[in-house]
Amino acid sequence: MLKKIKFFSVVFMLHFCINAQENVPNIALKTISGSSLQSSEILNNDGFSIISFWATWCIPCINELDAINELYDSWNENHNIKVLAISTDDARSKKRVRPMVSGKNWSFEVYSDTNQEFKRSLNVSGIPHTIVAYGSKIIHRRIGYSPGEEVDLFKIISNYNQE
Amino acid sequence: MLKNYLLVLTALIMINKNHSQNQSNFYGSFESNGIYYQENEQENYANEFASNNYLNLKYLFNSSWNFEAQIESYSPMRLQGYSDSFEKTHLSTLSINYKKKGFGLTFGSIYEQFGSGLALRTWEDRQLGINNSIWGIRSTFENKNINLKLIGGWQKKGSQISVGKVIGLDSEITVFNSSEIYQNLMLGFSYVGRFENLAFPAIYPPVGYEFNDLTSLFSARIDYVKNDFYFGYEQILKSEDGITQFGLILNDFVKKGSAHIMNLGVAKSGFGFDFTFRRLENMGFFGDRFEQGELFGETTINYLPALTKQHDYLLTNINIYESQPYVSFPDPSLMKAGEIGFQIDLYYDIKKGSVFGGKYGSNLSLNFSSWYNLDGEYSYNPLDYNSDFLAFGQKYFSEQSVELRKKWSENFSNIFLFVNKFYNKRYIEEKFGEVNSQIIVVDNTIKLKNKRSLRFELQHLFNKDDKKNWYGYGLEYNFNYNFSAYYNNIVNYQNIEDDKPSYYSFGTSYTKNSSRFSLSYGKQRGGLLCYGGICRYVPEFKGLSFSINTSF
Repeated sequence: MLKKIKFFSVVFMLHFCINAQENVPNIALKTISGSSLQSSEILNNDGFSIISFWATWCIPCINELDAINELYDSWNENHNIKVLAISTDDARSKKRVRPMVSGKNWSFEVYSDTNQEFKRSLNVSGIPHTIVAYGSKIIHRRIGYSPGEEVDLFKIISNYNQE
Repeated sequence: MLKNYLLVLTALIMINKNHSQNQSNFYGSFESNGIYYQENEQENYANEFASNNYLNLKYLFNSSWNFEAQIESYSPMRLQGYSDSFEKTHLSTLSINYKKKGFGLTFGSIYEQFGSGLALRTWEDRQLGINNSIWGIRSTFENKNINLKLIGGWQKKGSQISVGKVIGLDSEITVFNSSEIYQNLMLGFSYVGRFENLAFPAIYPPVGYEFNDLTSLFSARIDYVKNDFYFGYEQILKSEDGITQFGLILNDFVKKGSAHIMNLGVAKSGFGFDFTFRRLENMGFFGDRFEQGELFGETTINYLPALTKQHDYLLTNINIYESQPYVSFPDPSLMKAGEIGFQIDLYYDIKKGSVFGGKYGSNLSLNFSSWYNLDGEYSYNPLDYNSDFLAFGQKYFSEQSVELRKKWSENFSNIFLFVNKFYNKRYIEEKFGEVNSQIIVVDNTIKLKNKRSLRFELQHLFNKDDKKNWYGYGLEYNFNYNFSAYYNNIVNYQNIEDDKPSYYSFGTSYTKNSSRFSLSYGKQRGGLLCYGGICRYVPEFKGLSFSINTSF
């Protein structure tokens, strides 16, 4: 019991003592056609990036990306926003990513993180998990998706712009 | 032991504070999953509390160096369905990474994948209790056209490491990559070796063994993309190895293995098609040979998932296919040497304004998959087989599914799903019977005012075999973007023999930025729990569960 108390005390202490992750790390990713690149190459260097971790089998993830897709063009008219959908599908469902993206006519960029190195580097344990970055600086992150929540992301970006 | 962790952590925090003016950054995540088991199939878990806890810490010294550690605590006992090797509180993984100008070096726990993982994949899946990372050293080099990886070490097995040693080399060459006409060609070659010296009592007959301590996998792959069309093929040859049967490695049943996977597809605007063929023969490959056929299959080196559609609804997750890459001869009427089959996916965007698309458009997706035993000549006495290359034997599993996503208005949308499934229990679970079932799901979402929303689903499973028909329903209410509550229930209403069992769950969750807390109570169906085509058995239980997830 004492060990358990100690373990949770460590976690509690860490929560307050250490810094939050400040920047998006530079990790190798692949395009959905298989070319290699670094995460630093795909971030919106002079604007906002919405990084959404998803998979072909995750229903709330697809609901979120469908909803973002409908608003994406109007977002870009007002703000410099780049949406980066990071597929965490492994070998089981990876082959389904490219036809699904085409079949859904998503207009944002989709990348593949098959062994989830990028996901691990950002401490993402479950999906959907969405991160908003300005340049490479992380300004917001959230777990899960509720219908309509995509509008909230846009508000966070608008508020950050006003600051 | 825990005192040591505290010292290390305190030191890291101090280092971090002292270097705050530099690029250093110290961050992490914490996950805790706990259950108070009220009733349980396994008596030793009844009226007991168990939890699995994971604390992951990362320290970024500068742009070149970083450090990562994970402490796990299974306290006061591990959740049921996890391997005995996960015990108490221990330092689970530890690594130091260096990366500069295309060159990388890692010491410690390594997560790696060669190609699609058919030859080597080490990863972590907490829900399945898998962490087969390699404890050793890795060196990588990459430039625009070449990607090289060299790896060696022992595999993680709970709080211990494997007896067998693993070495691997992977190369990926981009032959051409033209963005002007959108065309690229890539070639890949891999080698993976496992060296394990066996103790003689493990061998039958116990007179020394004919096969080598070193078992090798050689892999070659090609990927080609031109505009909307893509094609890929990978072949693996596995050297001779003794086959594990009845808890022994058989000295008189020594076989080679092989794998072939071919994939082609078309991806145009509003349309996507994919076809995948795969043949696996005797492809079990573990850091410790004895893990093959064990319940938890720890120290798996290669990743051989089931190539079927992954579903997210309760009734569609009954009778899930688990890939059959191993040689298994449990009795003269059941002899398997692997699997052969295919999967087809089709996606179509029904345009807005069309007759079927309506004002908001809709999405249609179809999936077909069929998997079989390898056909050939099989002998039980003596144990032997000779499989034909492109011949389909007894059917293991087939599935056809249709999914339609339709948005009817700004605030109302739904998903219709129909699944037709054949599941050969005899060949997949090595029990008796075949199951033919059809499942219908209607999932509806209504957006309400003030960030509120309601989701409700109805499900039915038609099944003349096995445990007969089921129905199910679920209700989820989001009070706002942070707070939600749900209730769901599935009832096996035609299963008179087991007194019409029902499995219900209700709970709530609260999410704030990157932290989530959930609490639920219910009765969970026992059976195979599968993620990513890999399954573990979870006994039926009733109890109170909680989960905490946070990134900091």
